Amino acid sequence: MSDERLSTSNKVDANDEVLQWVTFKLKDESYGINVMQVQEILRYNEVAPVPGAPLYVLGIINLRGNVVTVIDTRSRFGLEPCEITDDTRIIVIESEQQIIGILVDSASEVVYLKPSEIENAPNVGNEESAQFIRGVTNRDGELLILVDLDKLLSDDEWDELKQF
Amino acid sequence: MAKPLAASKKVMKNYLSELLTEEAPELAKKSLLAAKPLKAKSLVTSKTADVIENNRLEVLLQNVNTDIDVATSEISTQRSLAQKCSEIDSKTLQRQDEVAITTHKSSDENHDAFITKVPKSYREGAFQVLFFDVAGLTIAVPLIELGGIHNVDKITPLIGKPDWFEGVMLCRDEKINVVDTALWVMPEKYDETLKNSLNYQYIIMLSDSRWGLMAENLVDTAILQQDEVKWLGSSSKRPWLAGLVKEKMCALLDVEALISLLDEGNGVN
Repeated sequence: MSDERLSTSNKVDANDEVLQWVTFKLKDESYGINVMQVQEILRYNEVAPVPGAPLYVLGIINLRGNVVTVIDTRSRFGLEPCEITDDTRIIVIESEQQIIGILVDSASEVVYLKPSEIENAPNVGNEESAQFIRGVTNRDGELLILVDLDKLLSDDEWDELKQF
Repeated sequence: MAKPLAASKKVMKNYLSELLTEEAPELAKKSLLAAKPLKAKSLVTSKTADVIENNRLEVLLQNVNTDIDVATSEISTQRSLAQKCSEIDSKTLQRQDEVAITTHKSSDENHDAFITKVPKSYREGAFQVLFFDVAGLTIAVPLIELGGIHNVDKITPLIGKPDWFEGVMLCRDEKINVVDTALWVMPEKYDETLKNSLNYQYIIMLSDSRWGLMAENLVDTAILQQDEVKWLGSSSKRPWLAGLVKEKMCALLDVEALISLLDEGNGVN
């Protein structure tokens, strides 16, 4: 299936280069992050809490000898917490020269989007979280919200994460 | 020959000045005739030049009559030209209006520019409105500024947006920005009870924008006359409110102003 999509994507205009997005779910909504920032997707492992950590930090995991900080994405997006299920995943990403994990309800698929298919989200709202949204697109009759991971945390928060 | 010319000029001056005051040309002729006894009176005092002066007067009158005829024909030509000009002007204006309206409809990019220049079409004569209600509040929207009506479908909330921004709804590949109308219009009365009681069924699209107001019921449409609305000035504190419909005592939306407010992410206040 993905091969078919890839071959289709190769035919498109070079100016409208196809980008790949890893999609995940949070409270029934679909979000997408740039595949180039995704290192791997893990099943949920026990996350060790860190005393005194900010609220948006769920804890840390040991990934092949490296400590990776896991962000509570629901909390960051202003959503209520939910139970950990078999579908829960930790997406390990690289952003702002750091490797972190984001906890999501489930990881779905990789989709191929042309920049022309991505529309800007309505430019209303001054909340910091409004900056997370890079754009929206219509995917199989559903709205896919594309997230700018670099803006997931502020500069101060990224600096704070380096201490873990 | 200098005298008759001066007299002729004076008479013409009077005539034209009377014409400018929109008096009938006949009055000018009467004034010319009235001038004749005056001249005759002066002629009585100079008996020697009586005959000569009479002859001169005859010539003068002939000249004046000729001049009046010329002037009248010129004026009638001017009038017809003026009429033609006014007709052309009105036609040009009409064409300009047509161009403005066409451009207004066809070009979204120039939309804002025309908002300030073209007066709202429903501010003249009778116009139709759609009444809908939200949480017991009836709201009217001019039909000419109604972009469409959709049934409420799946609405995807977006993080970091104002509370009144319900989310984005997909409709035939279009993305509609949905507004929780009750929360936008009356945030002070919006509590958990009101929120739970709301049964939004429709989305009222605002003009050709992507903004849609959620509505519980579509009440009716009606044709309103200008005097059936208490119009609010543009300096009103509530620019989204065009006026109040007197009979139903409900708000009439100023759709363009409302779109501007929503685009800026502003609430009702």
